[in-house]
Amino acid sequence: MFCSKKKPLEVERVVKANDREYNEKFQYADNRIHTSKYNILTFLPINLFEQFQRVANAYFLSLLILQLIPEISSLSWFTTIVPLVLVITMTAVKDATDDYFRHKSDNQVNNRQSEVLIGNNLQKEKWMNVKVGDIIKLENNQFIAADLLLLSSSEPHGLCYIETAELDGETNLKVRHALSVTSVLGEDISRLAKFDGLVVCEAPNNKLDKFMGVLSWKDSKHSLNNEKIILRGCVLRNTSWCFGMVIFAGPDTKLMQNSGKTKFKRTSIDRLMNTLVLWIFGFLVCLGIILAIGNSIWENQVGDQFRTFLFWNEEEKNSLFSGFLTFWSYIIILNTVVPISLYVSVEVIRLGHSYFINWDRKMYYSERATPAEARTTTLNEELGQIEYVFSDKTGTLTQNIMTFKKCSINGRIYGEVDDDMDQKPNIIKKKKPMNFSVNPQGDKTFQFSDHCLMESIRLGDPKVHEFLRLLALCHTVMSEENSAGQLTYQVQSPDEGALVTAARNLGFIFKSRTPETITIEELGTLVTYQLLAFLDFNNIRKRMSVIVRNPEGQIKLYSKGADTILFEKLHPSNEDLLTLTSDHISEFAGEGLRTLAIAYRDLDDEYFKEWQKMLEDANAAAHEQGNRIAGLYEEIEKDLMLLGATAVEDKLQEGVIETVTSLLLANVKIWILTGDKQETAINIGYACNMLTDDMNEVFIIAGNSAEEVREELRKAKENMFGQNRSPSNGHVVFEKQQQLELEPVVEETITGDYALIINGHSLAHALESDVKNDLLELACMCKTVVCCRVTPLQKAQVVELVKKHRSAVTLAIGDGANDVSMIKSAHIGIGISGQEGLQAVLASDYSFAQFRYLQRLLLVHGRWSYFRMCKFLCYFFYKNFAFTLVHFWFGFFCGFSAQTVYDQWFITLFNIVYTSLPVLAMGIFDQDVSDQNSMDHPQLYKPGQLNLLFNKRKFFICMAHGIYTSFALFFIPYGAFYNTAGDDGQHIADYQSFAVTMATSLVIVVSVQIALDTSYWTVINHVFIWGSIATYFSILFTMHSNGMFGIFPKQFPFVGNAHHSLTQKCIWLVILLTTVASVIPVLAFRFLKVDLFPTLSDQIRQWQKAQRKARPQQSQRPQTRRSSSRRSGYAFAHQEGYGELITSGKNMRAKNLPPASGLEKTLSNSTSWIENLCKKTTDTVSSFNHTKTVKL
Amino acid sequence: MDRTSQSCRSRLPDNTALKQQRLPAYRLQLSATKVLSGFFATGAFCLGMGIVLILSAKSIKEIEINYTNICANCAELRENAINFDKECTCSIPFYLPDTMQGNVYMYYKLYGFHQNLYRYILSRSNSQLMGRDVKDVGNCDSFRKTHNGTPICPCGAIANSIFNDTIILSYNLTSSVRIKVPMLSNGITWWTDKFIKFQNPNSNNLPSAFAGTAKPPHWSKPVYELDEEDSGNSGFINEDFIVWMRTAAFPTFKKLHRRLNRIQYFTEGLPAGNYSFNITYNFPVTRFQGEKSVVLSTLTWSGGSSLFLGLAYTVTGAMTWLASFSMMAIHLMRKEKKMFFPSCQVKL
Repeated sequence: MFCSKKKPLEVERVVKANDREYNEKFQYADNRIHTSKYNILTFLPINLFEQFQRVANAYFLSLLILQLIPEISSLSWFTTIVPLVLVITMTAVKDATDDYFRHKSDNQVNNRQSEVLIGNNLQKEKWMNVKVGDIIKLENNQFIAADLLLLSSSEPHGLCYIETAELDGETNLKVRHALSVTSVLGEDISRLAKFDGLVVCEAPNNKLDKFMGVLSWKDSKHSLNNEKIILRGCVLRNTSWCFGMVIFAGPDTKLMQNSGKTKFKRTSIDRLMNTLVLWIFGFLVCLGIILAIGNSIWENQVGDQFRTFLFWNEEEKNSLFSGFLTFWSYIIILNTVVPISLYVSVEVIRLGHSYFINWDRKMYYSERATPAEARTTTLNEELGQIEYVFSDKTGTLTQNIMTFKKCSINGRIYGEVDDDMDQKPNIIKKKKPMNFSVNPQGDKTFQFSDHCLMESIRLGDPKVHEFLRLLALCHTVMSEENSAGQLTYQVQSPDEGALVTAARNLGFIFKSRTPETITIEELGTLVTYQLLAFLDFNNIRKRMSVIVRNPEGQIKLYSKGADTILFEKLHPSNEDLLTLTSDHISEFAGEGLRTLAIAYRDLDDEYFKEWQKMLEDANAAAHEQGNRIAGLYEEIEKDLMLLGATAVEDKLQEGVIETVTSLLLANVKIWILTGDKQETAINIGYACNMLTDDMNEVFIIAGNSAEEVREELRKAKENMFGQNRSPSNGHVVFEKQQQLELEPVVEETITGDYALIINGHSLAHALESDVKNDLLELACMCKTVVCCRVTPLQKAQVVELVKKHRSAVTLAIGDGANDVSMIKSAHIGIGISGQEGLQAVLASDYSFAQFRYLQRLLLVHGRWSYFRMCKFLCYFFYKNFAFTLVHFWFGFFCGFSAQTVYDQWFITLFNIVYTSLPVLAMGIFDQDVSDQNSMDHPQLYKPGQLNLLFNKRKFFICMAHGIYTSFALFFIPYGAFYNTAGDDGQHIADYQSFAVTMATSLVIVVSVQIALDTSYWTVINHVFIWGSIATYFSILFTMHSNGMFGIFPKQFPFVGNAHHSLTQKCIWLVILLTTVASVIPVLAFRFLKVDLFPTLSDQIRQWQKAQRKARPQQSQRPQTRRSSSRRSGYAFAHQEGYGELITSGKNMRAKNLPPASGLEKTLSNSTSWIENLCKKTTDTVSSFNHTKTVKL
Repeated sequence: MDRTSQSCRSRLPDNTALKQQRLPAYRLQLSATKVLSGFFATGAFCLGMGIVLILSAKSIKEIEINYTNICANCAELRENAINFDKECTCSIPFYLPDTMQGNVYMYYKLYGFHQNLYRYILSRSNSQLMGRDVKDVGNCDSFRKTHNGTPICPCGAIANSIFNDTIILSYNLTSSVRIKVPMLSNGITWWTDKFIKFQNPNSNNLPSAFAGTAKPPHWSKPVYELDEEDSGNSGFINEDFIVWMRTAAFPTFKKLHRRLNRIQYFTEGLPAGNYSFNITYNFPVTRFQGEKSVVLSTLTWSGGSSLFLGLAYTVTGAMTWLASFSMMAIHLMRKEKKMFFPSCQVKL
């Protein structure tokens, strides 16, 4: 946003490698990034300009201007300017510190080192000094400094692997490959230095998945696409080095182009507050008009006669004009009903709450040393009003870690029977996990405790061996052995990783692979299998197979896949085993495990050769290649022999179940929006208790057209109503047609739990305008909604839909870049600072490390914030009405002359000094019930959702309260002062004494009121409340002292007043009576409210008090056990096409490659393959990325 | 990424009561016993205080004589500003039925005179009045300078409109012997007013101190001649002037004019009998439909309080008791069928 202001719009970028002079003439942005807004010189003007754009500040500025007009001014200018300057300074300081930190982080990023090719050598250079056209060298695990054109890499064919987590949140590695013409440059510095290719490409943009350009070098042109580009923000992985040429730098990089301005979020309280301020302003104008009319009449009736008497030489006046001036004067006087300090105080309170979130040790995740972080400080109270939570699955609900839990081999279950390891430590002691130390290749983190399996392996049970062999052979994992001989696996999908690691730990170690062989170590002996065919996974097949020839020459087909698919392919002889295994699978699924069926087949040599020939034919065929191959695959994968099944746990994050249960109790609706497959999503739904078998019905919407989807939705709804009630059906239908406000009524009348599961493609139709309402209505009546296979854009659309039509507060929680759009569009976005990239966190308003902290964030921090903010606002409006409206009453006694009741200094200081701290302390520290109680009774959360603590009604109550107080505050002294004298006979009914009496009563009344409002009296509250009163008196006495008058006779004319007034008994009696009269009704009202209509928190407080003497009771929430129902799913998360990658050998390390001849052979068809692969991946990725970038 | 390199310990929030929101605190709770006993106590206090105040207000002896219309001829004379230099006196006889015990204070009382108008209150110069610079007429709008540019001293609308009636109280000792009741014109102002806020300019004699200034247009004599007998009471520190300058909060107000000098016949106060006020009628009130009166009053422990405060206290006390009785009734009724928390239905 900064680069574009000077330069004309760039249409096309021309970059020449290694030629800074050439590139300089285009004035491309260099690699320095600025996220900071100001520098020392521009800070003041820009910041002030920004601040006065805010309505409140502008309003007070205009008041200030009004005050400078002598005819209107009824208050000295300092009454406004002091608070205004204070407010502006505070904001400026905050902005300055924010910007300082941005400068710091900019500097830190800008000063990262990278190796740049300058002249003929590599030099260490800071990131900010990298220029477009430079060639830089990157090493493994380094962040990429700018958008680069990949030139060459350590890997064959100029391949390199990158992790794009920070860009799009995907952790699986992506392949980029250099043009073959540049990849031959290799590491040769001198050749690289001579490289002078000219790149002509698109202008900087924010599309992460598109790149168009042409490289002209050595008289030939090569077209460039996204596959040749590595973007800033990625991390280089598994590639020891690579060289790249900088195309876009700094602000032009796609990363920076994507980090657009974040939408400014406001809370609903904010909006309400703005409305109220407008109303108050209207009220103010009304008061002004009334008083102005009063003034006109008064001037006409009385003032006229006074004028000659009091104002000797004034001729101009007519009463209407005087009324007009009075209007403005009263606007100035009464402006304190909308105090400047309101906005500042709200900010301060929110900041305090944010700090509490940051400081909370109970939201600190020690394993990764991440505390919770409130990244936005302005949304806290909205956390107490959440009605809908939209959650991502992977990495949010689950840990994204797969563990091999159980298996069923040949009809026998292995693996711990009881999976409640955490809950029952004594069992662990008895049942030690298996000792894998005998196996040097074992993965230390692997935990699997069943000695029977070990025993079976040792005894050489052929089925068990076959089972493990299959696990070690049938997969797409890549292995890597480092210098120390440690094996590490590169996995595409964590499921596979879990299986291969399990086999490895059980003695069948996958060692290495070449395109034609797989080497495994079977219980200590190396065995090399010949890989004959690789029947890759895809979504329709839901299985994968390998065909290998073992050293004995037998050909075997090993297959693993979804049980539903695989069971149909079994040989009839398997029937008994099938039923047994099927039961086992159901059992596994019931525990929320992901299951796979495992089967093999022995193949005839001849049969296989025939088949292979057919496959080759099919591959070469021009037409229907895909179909023919699929048919062939189908043909060979039959008559399988069942071996068993595996169960992998997609580990839920700790505490997810408790959190979900508790949030559901708090009436928060949780929707899962995931890119995962339906089965996986449903499994997780069951695993974390959002779906249960007790549910009346789970609707699954999977239609493929708008019509179908609508039909399905309608049917589901009918179903729901039909089951629910027959008698009042018509009634409900009638209600439904009414406004959205009435919908909750409908909702509540639905008894029973329903769940809705909707697929991404159906969702696309459902989100169309006319089906939308059906979807929304149904979804909102369901207890749980699961959307699977949704794109990031759809996630955002769903959030928007609910946000727009339900006027409910939404929260989105996710960890990956695919959740960014949803996080940004929800009212509150929460980023899980997990393993995936930082994108989600950067876009979020709050971040923490574990899903379970959501419970505390909402139920404790959110609730408290909301509670405190509401209390604060109620009190604040009350206080200012009480403070200001006395002027209105006084108007009737002072000829509507805009005379203030109070001393001007009092007006200046009242809001910012005398009464600000106690209410701030309440706003920051108050607690109605303790955090433990908030967690134990999620129902306490409901008032926030229903907006009960501060709404228009409450506001009117506060207003009425304030008006009443101002009435008491004015008329009691008025009555008492009428015709009275001091105890020395001297008068006390003078204006100044009256002002002091009123001011003192006001300060005391509002202090007593805050004391009553504060339900949690900490030391700080004590200090602030007593301190405020003390401050009031000390300032009062100082300002009324002889010394001050001596120095500034004009500013402090109240000399001696405090002393005289406050030594009169009569005045203290007045103050006391005023206090009693203003507080007693409130107290009575509150007492009756608590007594007659106690809220839950009142009850809990009472109960707590009753319990205080007794032992603190631990609340026992029933442990929710997962119910068992048969669900199974093929849970491969990996992409199609990896089999091809493996069999082609493209991704093999040089040392693993077959002899040179083989290399040449593969080289010849490599290009076609790579392009194929790239096409495939970009197709899938781009459709997904495209939608996302729109949102970004 | 760079974050992880930092030491883990530093990122763990401190375990302090403040940061963990565990500050020891007293939870304020409106329990029935507390509230009800508080209410009863407050009610009792207010009732008691109210009765005491009413009684003491009743004990005050006060006599007020409105002389706006009694001296109608003078009032008429003052209607027209041309007659400002014509003197007009009138005498108002009255009978005091009871002795006024103790200190007796004489007030003048104005009805409908808005001393609290914004621009009126503003129209004064404190720095002039404290004697720093007699020519400083800063805020004294419309009474800053005379037509020929001489600064007015004291300037401003307040000073200009000073109450300038003289009121002399005579006691008819017998039907023929009238003696002037001795009155003190000092000690009627606040100490701070007399010695801090109002100061004559430094000079050996007053007229020279005010040289170069003009008297306010309504005044008949310059400020340094306010009290020709006592130079300590003349100029800005004239107590009548100071009293006037302390503007009243409401359009109806009384200001202390004189206090009884308790000598001779008056050591006990004002004895019952016939009195008369001799008033030099200077201050025009009919022009703004106001009224003026003279008040003689004694004091009580809380000053010259009116009945209002006592009544207000009594009413408040009664209301508080009423409230507490009904609250108690409601509470007791509730208690019988009260649900206690663990078993209660969640009702919001």
